[in-house]
Amino acid sequence: MTELYATAIFLFVLFALLGSSVWIGLALMGVAWVGMELFTSRPAGDAMITTIWTGASSWTLTALPLFIWMGEILFRTRLSQDLFRGLAPWMRMLPGGLLHTNIAGCTLFAAVSGSSAATLTTVGKMSIPELRKRGYPEYMIIGTLAGAATLGLMIPPSLTLIVYGVTINESITKLFMAGILPGLVLSSLFMAYIIGWHYLRKDERPEPEPSMTFSVMFKESRFLIPVMLLVFTVIGSMYFGWATATEAAAVGVLGSLALAIMQRSLTWETFSASLMGATRTSAMIALILMGAAFLSLAMGFTGLPRALASWIDTMNLSPILLIAVLTVFYLVLGMFMDGLSSVVLTMAIVEPMIRQAGIDVIWFGIFLVVVIETAQVTPPVGFNLFVLQGMTRHEISYIAKTAIPMVGLMLLMVVILVVWPELATWLPDNIRGQS
Amino acid sequence: MNDWASVLGVPLWGWLFILPTIFAILCYFFQAPSKRLLTPIWRFLDRVYLASGALAAVFMVIILIIIILQMIARWSSISFQGSTEFAGYAMAATSFFAFAYALNRGAHIRVSIVLNINNFTRKWVDAYAMLIAAVTATYFARYAVKTNFMSEMLNDRTQGQDQVPEWLLAFVSMFGTWPTGWGKLWANVGSDWVYTPVWLPQIPMSIGATLLAIALWDNLFRLLINGQSNIKGEAVE
Repeated sequence: MTELYATAIFLFVLFALLGSSVWIGLALMGVAWVGMELFTSRPAGDAMITTIWTGASSWTLTALPLFIWMGEILFRTRLSQDLFRGLAPWMRMLPGGLLHTNIAGCTLFAAVSGSSAATLTTVGKMSIPELRKRGYPEYMIIGTLAGAATLGLMIPPSLTLIVYGVTINESITKLFMAGILPGLVLSSLFMAYIIGWHYLRKDERPEPEPSMTFSVMFKESRFLIPVMLLVFTVIGSMYFGWATATEAAAVGVLGSLALAIMQRSLTWETFSASLMGATRTSAMIALILMGAAFLSLAMGFTGLPRALASWIDTMNLSPILLIAVLTVFYLVLGMFMDGLSSVVLTMAIVEPMIRQAGIDVIWFGIFLVVVIETAQVTPPVGFNLFVLQGMTRHEISYIAKTAIPMVGLMLLMVVILVVWPELATWLPDNIRGQS
Repeated sequence: MNDWASVLGVPLWGWLFILPTIFAILCYFFQAPSKRLLTPIWRFLDRVYLASGALAAVFMVIILIIIILQMIARWSSISFQGSTEFAGYAMAATSFFAFAYALNRGAHIRVSIVLNINNFTRKWVDAYAMLIAAVTATYFARYAVKTNFMSEMLNDRTQGQDQVPEWLLAFVSMFGTWPTGWGKLWANVGSDWVYTPVWLPQIPMSIGATLLAIALWDNLFRLLINGQSNIKGEAVE
């Protein structure tokens, strides 16, 4: 019975600290300390530093700051103009027109950036004013952008997947590869939605674009060449086994610096701004990871993960039901927390559960990302909503409403993943250069 | 509980947790004098935070350089021993050095639902959160420093293949010894390379964690004196 009390206190402290707006990394450390004091006689402080030091100085983690830095550099180049100019000639031919630049732009930028906020700002900076000028309905512009920007989390490089991989000790390269196909499927779902809008809401269509000769189209699309090259170098080098995730990130940083020099947008100011920005974001994630490392150590002593895993076992829950329960759980959690924090906070408990249920952890990573993406666009806390609010000055509630169809599509994506798990597992199983 | 041995008759936890808390309360009740007292310190600390952030950025570039060198070494079949360890040390350094700087620039994230209810909660929940965070960070810093000293005392060495020159160790040790001991320190230094002692890469951890704790207490004092903290622009990431 005392065990039960201790667990109750532990969980209460967890929610109390997080709820009282203590910074997440430090809140996790505080909770972990309480857990250590309640459940074990091991000296908490020393165990804490040993765990944190091992985690903080690990080689796998070095991919994180470099990918962040790469995104920060590209964010400060003229890439957003280039993406729009290069994509527009091709997208105008599709039913739904230039709205597709939102999706295609986000998909492309997601392949060089790991954060959905960065994807959103880079693509939206250019596409929102351009699409408004051409008379596309506001709710479609905002909604598709809010949804598509979440692809930044799924299509490699993805910060969420790095954090997930580091937390559960799985290959980041494999996770990255697993994200590619589901990311593309999700972006086709978004495109299908735009095409559907085109045929169902005929009265909302803007004036068709003036026609353009093929030679002009090809000339315009030269703007896409540098970013395409960058995408193929970064993802290709990982796929063919030439480079580890960290090395691919280093190549990506060099590549984006080169791209910035070519565009003549690399000045000392943009360079140092990108570097300092990356330093801040990477420190933010590092602090959360440190708190999470200590928390998962403490969790181990509470016996909570083991108890839950064996409880799942006795319940004879089918994996599908478990996934359904977890989906709801993460959706609720995602309403109050950002994606990274909800991953690190829960993995200590959820990992033994899914391993017990025989669910592939790589597949689960992708599933988790889709659910977290959904949380990015659901109020009250959805980071994409905040970013869009800053960019468009619309009410959060309005932006959230325009994104509802996207949430539906992302939930459909969860179903697709459950029905065809190979979508996520086939590519990582077939990476070249690995036994 | 020898971790909290008494210093000048007061147990260490009294110095680390109780004293700053009492000072914070005094700050709230005597705003004008404490502001006069702290203003020069603030000016100094702001520079320290920024410098530490810049140092973190340098280590970020070092990670990049190490990884590029490692790739070049692999392609040209030269061995670069311990490159992964060095990259790991640089990773720890860039994270720890940037903590305080990231805090002041509002990069660290938190669940701000309760915080944003009204102006009252915006001040007092913030103060409460800062107090809790400051205590946690101080605890973190206390043990980071202790572990750092323990690694030095036990002469803990790396488990990898990374080596550093002896003179570097001697040079860094100079900062931890009185000038009278410097002669003795350098007398034993050869030109050899030795397996990295763990205390060396752990120094950024001690400094960074301590600076984070200082920054949190500092922000709490500023919040209670000026009605607003030093944190500019909360993260939207």
